[in-house]
Amino acid sequence: MTARFVKTQKEMEGRYEDVWALVDESDDTESWAPDAELALVGRPAPRQDGAARVAGRVRFTVDVTLAGMLHAAVLRSPAAHGRVRSLDLEAALATPGVRGVIGPESELSLTTRSPLLATEPAYAGEAIAVVAADTLEAARAGVAALALDLEVLPHLVDMQEGLNEQRFTKDPTDDARGDAEAALAAAEVTVELSLDTPAQLQTPLEPHAAVATWDGDLLTAWVSTQGMFTARDDLAMAFGLRTSDVRVLTQYVGGGFGGKQGCGFEALAAAELSRVTGRPVRLVNDRHGEQLDGGRRAATRQSVRLGAKRDGTITAIDADAVVAMGQGGWIFPVLIPARTLYRCADVRALTFPVKTNLRPQNAFRAPGVMEGTAAFEQAIDELALALDMDPLELRRTNHADVDQVSGSPYSSKQLLACYDLAAELAGWATRDELREPQPDGLLRGMGCASQIWWGGGGPPSHATVRLDAEGNATVITGIQDIGTGTLTSAQIVAAEELGLPLSHVRVVGGDTAPNVYGPVAGGSQTTPSVMPAVRSAAAKVRKTLLQLAGDVFEIAVDDLEIRDGRIRSSDGAIDAEVTEVTEKLGDATIDGSGSRGPNPDGFVVHTFGCQIAQVAVDAALGEVKVERIVAVHDVGRIVNPLAASSQVEGGVLQGMAFALTEELIVDPTTGVPVNAHLDDYKIPTIADVPEIIIDYPHVPDANLPTTGTKGLGEPPIIPTAAAIANAFAHATGRRAAALPLTRDRVLETLA
Amino acid sequence: MEITLDVNGQTYSVVPEGRRLLAVLRDDLELLGTKLACGEGACGACAVLVDGRPVNACLLLAEAAEGHEIVTIEGLSTGRASAVQEAFVAEDALQCGFCTPGQIVSATALLERVPQPTREQIHEAMAGNLCRCGAYPKIERAILRAAGGG
Repeated sequence: MTARFVKTQKEMEGRYEDVWALVDESDDTESWAPDAELALVGRPAPRQDGAARVAGRVRFTVDVTLAGMLHAAVLRSPAAHGRVRSLDLEAALATPGVRGVIGPESELSLTTRSPLLATEPAYAGEAIAVVAADTLEAARAGVAALALDLEVLPHLVDMQEGLNEQRFTKDPTDDARGDAEAALAAAEVTVELSLDTPAQLQTPLEPHAAVATWDGDLLTAWVSTQGMFTARDDLAMAFGLRTSDVRVLTQYVGGGFGGKQGCGFEALAAAELSRVTGRPVRLVNDRHGEQLDGGRRAATRQSVRLGAKRDGTITAIDADAVVAMGQGGWIFPVLIPARTLYRCADVRALTFPVKTNLRPQNAFRAPGVMEGTAAFEQAIDELALALDMDPLELRRTNHADVDQVSGSPYSSKQLLACYDLAAELAGWATRDELREPQPDGLLRGMGCASQIWWGGGGPPSHATVRLDAEGNATVITGIQDIGTGTLTSAQIVAAEELGLPLSHVRVVGGDTAPNVYGPVAGGSQTTPSVMPAVRSAAAKVRKTLLQLAGDVFEIAVDDLEIRDGRIRSSDGAIDAEVTEVTEKLGDATIDGSGSRGPNPDGFVVHTFGCQIAQVAVDAALGEVKVERIVAVHDVGRIVNPLAASSQVEGGVLQGMAFALTEELIVDPTTGVPVNAHLDDYKIPTIADVPEIIIDYPHVPDANLPTTGTKGLGEPPIIPTAAAIANAFAHATGRRAAALPLTRDRVLETLA
Repeated sequence: MEITLDVNGQTYSVVPEGRRLLAVLRDDLELLGTKLACGEGACGACAVLVDGRPVNACLLLAEAAEGHEIVTIEGLSTGRASAVQEAFVAEDALQCGFCTPGQIVSATALLERVPQPTREQIHEAMAGNLCRCGAYPKIERAILRAAGGG
């Protein structure tokens, strides 16, 4: 390996930072040609761990059971804002079975001494104390014994009130280019659209959870997280440990959707209680706690003004977003669609992050961009209406050939192909026929929306491949597979490169102990970051194997290739099982390590897509039924079409629910969420599923290192709600002022 | 008070102390395939078969299960994978997999009752099993496949 440090940019959900990347200059792995005939990549493969999952044998964090383990229960604030007057920690400790209690006066007791629990909770559900006991029932009894006395303080949950009072988590931002105001004034046609979008809860079925145990100063934690390395670093920092003295295990995660970053409060509290009690501790949020404190996509109030020429050229974009942040958190890029989706020189985008008495907002699949698309793409349809222009044609007319913020070219962009494919699959050309009177009396319509997201991945990402005497390869990765199937994608890529059947390749992840780094499972970056590293590692093993085969068969290495587990010479004289070479290894193994190289300078990397929705509206009942979604996304090369379609279906269904049913409702009088349960917070059921038709342009990104893949986690959730709202407007001629399109809102809109 | 439970064909003596069947299965019998996701009967992740019918074990008092035949996901997974399990893998009818044991239990009960279900019958029988990842289209296909129609 010829190691060099290279300065490069790292992107996560649209935030760029400069980092040093470790580059192996001797790595000569070339990109697969766009039309390369690959044996396994691009063909559907079931999950490598499918059999264990359907048998109920896999162990999630909530299932981890250690000898002598204590169970923890959390006391949460019942009020949106308050001050703890009294808390009877001694009574809790005296409760039978209780072994440890930490309260608002407690600190993380090792070096950092940072506060962990709130003396002045600023949202309903904020943790005030945690009790660990022999059983969960005893821990709950301990929580009751705390006899919390809370002085209730004034709260603010209404974002308009927060805006009026100028209560912000950070200063509002103004992202402008050109002069949007003058361009609007000069425009031949203008439209304006306002939309309120709901707070949406990630609602992973496995709640946030952690199990922690100490062996001297070595900390081991099972954490239900999307980022086990971040979790490791968080724990090391909180307890003043070396990262090599913390091991995080995250083999199976019961859903995350953005809401499980780092170690979380749960692992901190479990580790602290484990240190205090000397026993392993398991802390699992109950459902109410999870819905209150697991996270959410923030509610927004947005408005968009567009100016255009009569021929459809967009000349001005002026957008603003009020974001109900809660107590803080990252300000996600709600106005990225307004700023980047179409060609326009005069743009203004104002973002107001309002501080409210809710949990800090956190990431939920395409944070910011999804709710921004819901408003912006409806405004684009309003413009099409004002211009009497086909909505897809308007989008084609304003296609952005280069990135509108930096002026740089895209690494690849197949958005126009997405429009064409989606239109054909949906029967877009005859969509107005849907508006003719229907035999069932329902109002039908069809609407579209575009999608932009990042998803290029980048360094650091590493992999190690180890081939044994029996011809079986183990791929060691830093992947935590939260359900996307990336372990199986790595299996496919490694098997492809090694020339082995899938059954001879096993991928492991979910453990920081080998210190083979993989990125957080977020931002649509796992596949584009990890797969090139896996390929490089496997390529090194293949080269070594061929060298050894050359020795064994006494033939030039250049004349040999490996396919489907057999080594063949170009003249056909040699055709042998791989094991004829590997068996000579004995107890030795062939090892190769690979890393992800940087993305090339001068390009911006984005994914694109288009979805078309068909809806049927019952105007008497106010019910909106989504009948079909066509989803076409440009994510470069598809590694596993089976898992990819699962990602798309999942994103579409979460986007559909954002448009139709999901909304955290907060009582303005008390500031307390009233539907933070699974029975009244309505996620989709199997009976709600529309027909979902999926396709891709299938054009690998030639500018991304070695596999041509972009990420697919976020893209499919982004345009769904906008497409549904546009279809609703096509069907009814009306537009709701807010999502979701619940029955009362629909009836109000149609009245 | 000690009671006797018949779980996966085995007899167990347990002291329920007012707990739900789910807590006894997971904490006392260490049958961890059955999941707790909501604890309020809304999601079906804790579905087990009670005399062949799918029941949310988070709502059933353990005492009420005495005298009934209980089968968990472990009881459905003793030998070869069933047709339903094989179909779930082949169709990729799972993502994170947390709801999957409950889905398999409910699908097994459905196919036992209705060997050739229609899409509508699948929707009705499976609507109590939530999947946040949205594997529903493939769950439907897997059930049809297991029924020999997919």
